[in-house]
Amino acid sequence: MSASGGAILRSESRAPRREDRRRLVAWLARSSLRFGSYVAFALVLFVFAWRAPAFVSLGNLGNVFGQSAILGVLAFGMTIVIIGGGSNVVTGGIDLSLAANMGLSAAIYAALVQADFGDAVAVAAALGSGAAIGAVNAFSVVSLRIVPLLATLAVMNIAAGLELVITQNTVIAADTNFLSLLSSNGVGGVPILAFALLAVAAVLIVAVQYTPTGLRLYAVGEFPEAARASGLRVNWLVAGSYVASGLCGGIAAILSVAYLSGSTTGSGDMLLSIVVTALLGVVFSRRLVPTIGGTLLSTLFVGSLINGFQLLGVSSYWVNGVQGVLILLVVAATSVLRPQGNGL
Amino acid sequence: MTVQPLWEARRGRVADRLVQYTAIIALIAVMIVFSAAIPTFATPQNLKSVLVNNFALLAIVSIGMTLTVAAGGIDLSVGTAVDFSSLAFVFLVLGGHAVWLSALAGLGAGLAVGLFNAFLITRLGITPFLATLGTLFIGHSGQQLLTGGGNPVYIPPAVVPPSFAFLGHGEILCVPVVLVLVAMVGGAVAILLKRARLGRIILAIGVQRSVAWYSGLPTSGVTGLVYALSALVCAVAGLLLSATVNVYVPYSGNAFLLNAIGATFIGTTLGPHGRPNVAGTLIGVLLLAVVANGLLLSGLNFYWQQVGTGLLIFFVLAASFAKAARTSE
Repeated sequence: MSASGGAILRSESRAPRREDRRRLVAWLARSSLRFGSYVAFALVLFVFAWRAPAFVSLGNLGNVFGQSAILGVLAFGMTIVIIGGGSNVVTGGIDLSLAANMGLSAAIYAALVQADFGDAVAVAAALGSGAAIGAVNAFSVVSLRIVPLLATLAVMNIAAGLELVITQNTVIAADTNFLSLLSSNGVGGVPILAFALLAVAAVLIVAVQYTPTGLRLYAVGEFPEAARASGLRVNWLVAGSYVASGLCGGIAAILSVAYLSGSTTGSGDMLLSIVVTALLGVVFSRRLVPTIGGTLLSTLFVGSLINGFQLLGVSSYWVNGVQGVLILLVVAATSVLRPQGNGL
Repeated sequence: MTVQPLWEARRGRVADRLVQYTAIIALIAVMIVFSAAIPTFATPQNLKSVLVNNFALLAIVSIGMTLTVAAGGIDLSVGTAVDFSSLAFVFLVLGGHAVWLSALAGLGAGLAVGLFNAFLITRLGITPFLATLGTLFIGHSGQQLLTGGGNPVYIPPAVVPPSFAFLGHGEILCVPVVLVLVAMVGGAVAILLKRARLGRIILAIGVQRSVAWYSGLPTSGVTGLVYALSALVCAVAGLLLSATVNVYVPYSGNAFLLNAIGATFIGTTLGPHGRPNVAGTLIGVLLLAVVANGLLLSGLNFYWQQVGTGLLIFFVLAASFAKAARTSE
């Protein structure tokens, strides 16, 4: 989704008028899309607020945030990998192991709690296993040069298998003070998980959007050859993005153990939702590139849809379909705006 | 790339050749190990069961996947085509319609999924990954709505028509019908990709889409056709799936997705230029099938089997991509 928005606005050379008009139309279309996504989000919120007044209560909005926390953190990980790997999803960056990573790390957390290791050990182990899975991905992609789609697919299988070995395909219950604190409600009845989501988002927005390292990651993703030529340590940055993504899996695991009071089977079902959420986040960014803030908005958008549908009594069966239609609409709109020929 | 001395190039070629056949070597090694370690593995009954139960359906789906990967795309909605074909087939058979008519409807339902993909990709210009991902999500909702939240639809044994049972369990000259269909579908797609003009266009699009377009090839039409064909092939798997187990289970086709991707890409390592090819894909599927069956027979803890399969795929991929890593440095 690389956007060349800046170049289009900068028309210093005296171009023919038709060219100008074409650019104006493209600019109008792009800005309408840019704001269109916000308008669509606002419209959906407005309809929910109008038809189901309970939707806008602080408690309910807190619930939307809280219930989006796990998906959101995982989607942040996916976003970081997509930023560093480029937007071509087949050969570019993607981390299919994220959902399985969360399942395995959550199983490790719950098993350690069951074995009477304290929360501190369990938290460290969950984060450690998340980062370790990320490191394996990084090694396969950077050193072994396996296409990310396949490398993370194989790692996903291994992680999912190890999760089954630990849990024997059952739910391992875990209940500690730390976990009950995480799953309780904080100020104004807003779940702590909501604050956790915002905290992770804030840290990542600063790290990815406002540090030199974050900027370099974008450079690597958009044009690896140029990044290499200008002396960036491309391999280390890409490897780092997978480790960061793995860490997000570990953090999500902790949130998930708290939310469900134990490990969960079937975390793998979240995989495609994570991919869709991260890719949908692109339209919530100014330049139509993956950003952490955009992914946060897209997570909340999907979360509000699910919550609002429940309040309106619309069958939850529609949620997946609406998500699918949304992503198609959004991507179709973006691809119309891009110059022809560079889309695979 | 710098110019290499001749002897180095030759040594490199031998190593490359070995690396290129990693998947076959792995398959033979796995077969030898299982035959030696597990007495029940190398029996005719078991080998037949590997082919019928582990290999056949995944093979057909993977052949569909091979088509789209050959055209430079990917089809994440293979499972959706399988499901909709199975759904239409089972619903119509339950409704008392003739089996051949129901089967046609099933193929049609699968084809519809493919045509939807083709529309998204060629008319709306959505990348295949996202287009088929969207189809997958919409298909998920569609099945939930049609089955009241994902309840399986059974065909009671008493009303299973004979020709329906024949499709799932019958044999032609001692060869199971499912394997005959794998051979037919595989043969047709292999001939298409290797011998037909259309196949060359597909491969050209897969290698360099823009060059193919500038050469005046009908890239858009052929791309659309590829997605329609892929879904049609998967629809065959959907018919066989429901005929084998007498039931339609919502979203069950998705179980094939990741393995089909794995098998197709393992297959690319066996191709002449690292391109997707039917023979390679089938060897990839066979490797997965043999490993799944052998680990099951080994009596190894069921959950460790998944880990084993994952590790094996990982090593095959690592070895296969070693070549790419060396040439790019």
